[in-house]
Amino acid sequence: MNKPKLYIGTAGWSYKDWIGSFYPFKQSKEFNWLEFYSRYFNAVEVNSSYYAYLSPRVAESWLRQVEEADDFLFTVKLHQDFTHKRKYGKEQIEAVKYILDLLKKEEREERLGGLLMQFPYSFGFNDGAVDYLRRLIETFGEYDKFVEVRHKSWKGKKAKTVTFCSIDQPEIGESIGFEPVTGNGAAYIRLHGRNTEAWKKSLNNFGKKQTYEEQNARYQYLYSPGEIIEIADKIKELYDEVKKIFVIANNHPRGDAVANAFELMHYLSDRKKIRMPETIVSAYTQLNEFLTN
Amino acid sequence: MRKIIHLDLDSFFVSVERILDPSLRGKPVIVGANPAYGRGVVAACSYEAREYGLHSAMPINRAYRLCPHGVYLHGHHDEYARFSKAVERLLKKYAPQMEQASIDEFYMDFTGTERIYGSLFLFAKKLQSEIEEKLSLPCSIGIGGNKTIAKICSEYAKPEGITCVYPGMEKDFLAPLPVETVPGVGKVMQRALKDKGFRTIGDIANAPEEYFGAAFGKHGLALWRKANGEGKEYLNPPHKRKSISKEKTYGKDVSNRKEIEETLFKLTGKVCQTLRNKNRVASTIGVKLRYSDFVTLTREKTIKPTDDDKTVFETALELFRKADTRRVSVRLIGVRLTNFDDFAEQEELFETEETIRKKMFRAINKIRDKFGYSAINLGGFPKRN
Repeated sequence: MNKPKLYIGTAGWSYKDWIGSFYPFKQSKEFNWLEFYSRYFNAVEVNSSYYAYLSPRVAESWLRQVEEADDFLFTVKLHQDFTHKRKYGKEQIEAVKYILDLLKKEEREERLGGLLMQFPYSFGFNDGAVDYLRRLIETFGEYDKFVEVRHKSWKGKKAKTVTFCSIDQPEIGESIGFEPVTGNGAAYIRLHGRNTEAWKKSLNNFGKKQTYEEQNARYQYLYSPGEIIEIADKIKELYDEVKKIFVIANNHPRGDAVANAFELMHYLSDRKKIRMPETIVSAYTQLNEFLTN
Repeated sequence: MRKIIHLDLDSFFVSVERILDPSLRGKPVIVGANPAYGRGVVAACSYEAREYGLHSAMPINRAYRLCPHGVYLHGHHDEYARFSKAVERLLKKYAPQMEQASIDEFYMDFTGTERIYGSLFLFAKKLQSEIEEKLSLPCSIGIGGNKTIAKICSEYAKPEGITCVYPGMEKDFLAPLPVETVPGVGKVMQRALKDKGFRTIGDIANAPEEYFGAAFGKHGLALWRKANGEGKEYLNPPHKRKSISKEKTYGKDVSNRKEIEETLFKLTGKVCQTLRNKNRVASTIGVKLRYSDFVTLTREKTIKPTDDDKTVFETALELFRKADTRRVSVRLIGVRLTNFDDFAEQEELFETEETIRKKMFRAINKIRDKFGYSAINLGGFPKRN
């Protein structure tokens, strides 16, 4: 069996509630979260780029922080102007491209995994949507692109030029079930957790003002070992079809995403022992089983 | 002679609980009813608990008296199902034919695979270690010429063993085993056999067949055959789900049609979700309606294959409205999908000019077949300069 390159990581790395469960309690002045993160994972999804256009200085500092990590890639979420508000101009395009180029053209090695376009649930499949997507894909033609659509009307759709994301999410309404898909020689898997109750609630509160906890409650979910094995088996089925697979855990509250990402690493490497920080093993004792010394 | 393997996961529920919580290792663990309520039974228990005389199906309060310091768990049944599926996926890679007998038991037919897998005994060993390595689940394996022998073998091999009975050795292997070893012999049968002096399987095998037929009827005959090493040699073919349905029986009969239609809407949502999860589409939509006087109607309609809630609901609603001609309150409403197909091939999103034109010409052909060649023509013709 051909084994593609696996990029496993989480959606974002800067969460205060990971202190103690991933990042150490005691942190020196020089302690740097991303640097620490990149010692264990080889990919991260940048989510802040969805809310704001990143400043080049910030991106440059990230590059410095992952300097020591071989093969580390960033995948960058496209700004909401493009995917949710659907209103953008030349300036916005250039602002995004500037950062992507910075990561792509990094001297030592490329650091750009690709551009993630995440559309809202309401972005259903129709001619207009396909057309909009086509234009967006053309705009960012020179980068690898991952497209996340959440409405089930997209089921079975594929494209040669982009990778549709495979998402695992609670099964409610007309959401897409977890059936990994491939495209453009890659698969991009996002794990949103299966917190059905909180997910429903959040759909009902859409657009209302919510606290950070309320907003993130729907991602609070720790996949069970059985679920992780199931996901890992489905990922393995893709091995012959692609050259690389991204697996991004987005169930970030408390550090569940980190624990599950380590578990996936373990199961996808035929149960090899994994290097993990002490913090995560003490917070999630079941990880002890496959901790390497 | 056939080669049947029976694979049985050792105290499966407990094994899974120990994956979820490794601190349970080495402890007497009991999965089943809550002893505080005093009702219900043991669903599974660890070998440590068995040392206290516990066994599955034992009343929970008795188990508690025998082993009060055990760890009593209600169990994570969804998780058991997931691990069972994972085992199934693993076995499917090897087994030409498989029948899952229960959540933790698998029959596999390996007849004629010697040239691929070599010695079946060694292969079973490999299978056993692979399940242990990949899923941390211990299992026992029995190999024999039929299902009954294979099952008795795996039971004999417990825990974590392998037993293989070679053709011709069945009777010798079975003879010293107690009668209750034969699958299907329960407490009542066991007592009846003992009363007549049958203690071992050999005792049964040595008695005349006619006697068993006369003394114990049909079951007796079947038992006699099993005792003589006979059994089913072929696995049951996998059964494919033929329909997906969902019904709602109202606690109180309902006369408000709007309410019934709302129920129908919810039910269609659920069946469609199940359908999509199975990656299938259905073409026949059915509706079942039962009035308070138990008059029951079913209606069906076949449409273009779909997995779309909206299409299914619209069809179901149409069927319901047509069928519902009486002014009687309703006791039950249900929706049912049949006539499945696998979900169609993936569809290329951004079609190339070429595929678009191919599609167009196929459509043109259809029109011309129906209405004649001149019914449709390409527009425009390059002008001559």
